[in-house]
Amino acid sequence: MKGDNIYEPIKAKVLEVIDESPTIKSFVLEPERQFYFKTGQFIEVALDGIGEAPFTPSSSPLVTNQLEVTVMKTGYVTEKMHQMKGGETVGIRGPFGRGYPLEKLYDKEVLVLGGGCGFAPLRSLLYNLEAEQEKVQKVTFCYGSKNPQECIYEPYINELRQYKKFEVMRTVDEADETWTEEVGVATVLLDKIDVNIDNSVAVVVGPPIMMKFSVQKLLEMGYTDQKIYLSMEKNMSCAVGKCGHCMMGEYFVCKDGPVFRYDEIKDKPDIWK
Amino acid sequence: MLTQIHIFFILLCENYNNIMNNYHSISRQEWEKALSHLINNYHIYAPVPWGETQDYERIDDDSISDIIYNRPKPATPLKTFFLPIRENVVNTEKSDKKRIIMGIPSCDLSGINIFDEMYLDDAFVDPTYKKKREDSILIGTDCHTTQENCHCTTYGIKPYPMKNHDLTLSLSGDTIYLQTHSAKGETLIEEIEKITTLQDPTENEIQEIVDTREKVEEELNTKNRDLPNYRVTGDLINSSEDEIWKKYSETCVSCGACATICPTCTCFLLLEKPGFEKVRHLDACQYPGFEKVAAGEDPLEELYKRFRNRYMCKYVWKPKKFESIACTGCGRCIEACIGNINKNELFLELANK
Repeated sequence: MKGDNIYEPIKAKVLEVIDESPTIKSFVLEPERQFYFKTGQFIEVALDGIGEAPFTPSSSPLVTNQLEVTVMKTGYVTEKMHQMKGGETVGIRGPFGRGYPLEKLYDKEVLVLGGGCGFAPLRSLLYNLEAEQEKVQKVTFCYGSKNPQECIYEPYINELRQYKKFEVMRTVDEADETWTEEVGVATVLLDKIDVNIDNSVAVVVGPPIMMKFSVQKLLEMGYTDQKIYLSMEKNMSCAVGKCGHCMMGEYFVCKDGPVFRYDEIKDKPDIWK
Repeated sequence: MLTQIHIFFILLCENYNNIMNNYHSISRQEWEKALSHLINNYHIYAPVPWGETQDYERIDDDSISDIIYNRPKPATPLKTFFLPIRENVVNTEKSDKKRIIMGIPSCDLSGINIFDEMYLDDAFVDPTYKKKREDSILIGTDCHTTQENCHCTTYGIKPYPMKNHDLTLSLSGDTIYLQTHSAKGETLIEEIEKITTLQDPTENEIQEIVDTREKVEEELNTKNRDLPNYRVTGDLINSSEDEIWKKYSETCVSCGACATICPTCTCFLLLEKPGFEKVRHLDACQYPGFEKVAAGEDPLEELYKRFRNRYMCKYVWKPKKFESIACTGCGRCIEACIGNINKNELFLELANK
């Protein structure tokens, strides 16, 4: 943050805009100074005079001179972002909140379950796990998307498939003639994975409905509440635990989250909305 | 090494200091003269008549005599001085003068606790709020009367200043009594002493102040004896069914007046202003869309859920997270509600189930 003001962003140049799917674009940002974040923490991206919205970087936390956010066109700010071509200046604040508990993943068989644009924050985690491969038993990445066109990060999927410790499985709700992998909602992949559940931790990120059914399925499979981590999407405005918009029970998702262990939040009202 | 006897004497002396040495008295006429001088160096705000009610106004020479003493309570809460309806939090307004805020009832002073806890949180200090707190001298007031919906004592708040004030002011007859509570308050007393002479009140005069405090406290206790306390209210709300919230929110129109007027409602929204500036607007969980996310999900879509959310926040969630209580029993939300919703009737119904 610039100076002492928690509301004042630093500037970042949009170096490149990458089309990931018909509805999703990635923005490569170059902040005016080195920018450090932990995987799963989020930032606020401000479009000057237009609006500000929270995103979890999709790039590696080990890279500090650039960062990337992957954005689905869903609302006012994201629509304006999608109009950017590169060369623009945006503001960024952060990083904020509690990210993925890397230390809890060490020595484990890590199950990473992503849906749709939920792959974005998970890519940052996967980069991190990839760099620390020796510390985990293995990583099973299950990814579900609407259709083949909406499957993002194709090159990175291919890269991950090269690693011995990484297993990648994908499914789409609606396949076409080009699709050779699974068909069905994200949870169908859970029937096909080969994971020692007793030594596994699951990380789930995706649309609320996908997270809801994934958690149900994981519990049925034998994962305990304490072995499931979720990244919650809420309407973070200030990002510093003051404005109240992201409250979920007594939690400020911006500060106490956005990553929660399932047992921490399962009794809070309307967590899947 | 301090022995127990030493400690006893220290405590005795401190107690004595608290009781006697920090009291000053002055005639109302001389006090008004002092205010007239202080206006040159400070922006002074005090409650003045506003039709049938009263509210804080910036005081000038002509309005000094209009100031209302010891009668609760200003229509708007103290929080509006620290979290205004709208302010730029990046390119902040600079004030040439510090301000003195007078006539603050105890409920509103206690309301600042939750703001201090949230806005001055070590991890993320809110610079705009911090500056406003530092640049304000708060003069609390003893409440000599009560209003219909006053119920501060139900939540452990006394009808006289307990915390966050620099001075306490009490008017009796034609004499103003001032009690200092902080270095800021002492500095102001020193400034006043340069303008006029302050007296030391007698023990009897101080006793009269204490007696009045106890009388008003007793009056509030009696009036509200059936109301559940803060903790019990939280338990009742937490274990309640949807029906009662649907019933009481039937006349709610989501206007947000309850939250706007509340001395402990802390929510706001940040809006972008060109130049990467940010304008903070007071916001309320009672407005539709408060928690809606871009993808469309909205946990507070239904009105009764928004209505209940405000009470869950105040009596259940905030107490889990913060030391400070999030309702001070000022009763403004009851007075401000155009749907005539009375939260205390709701709580009594929950308590009597």
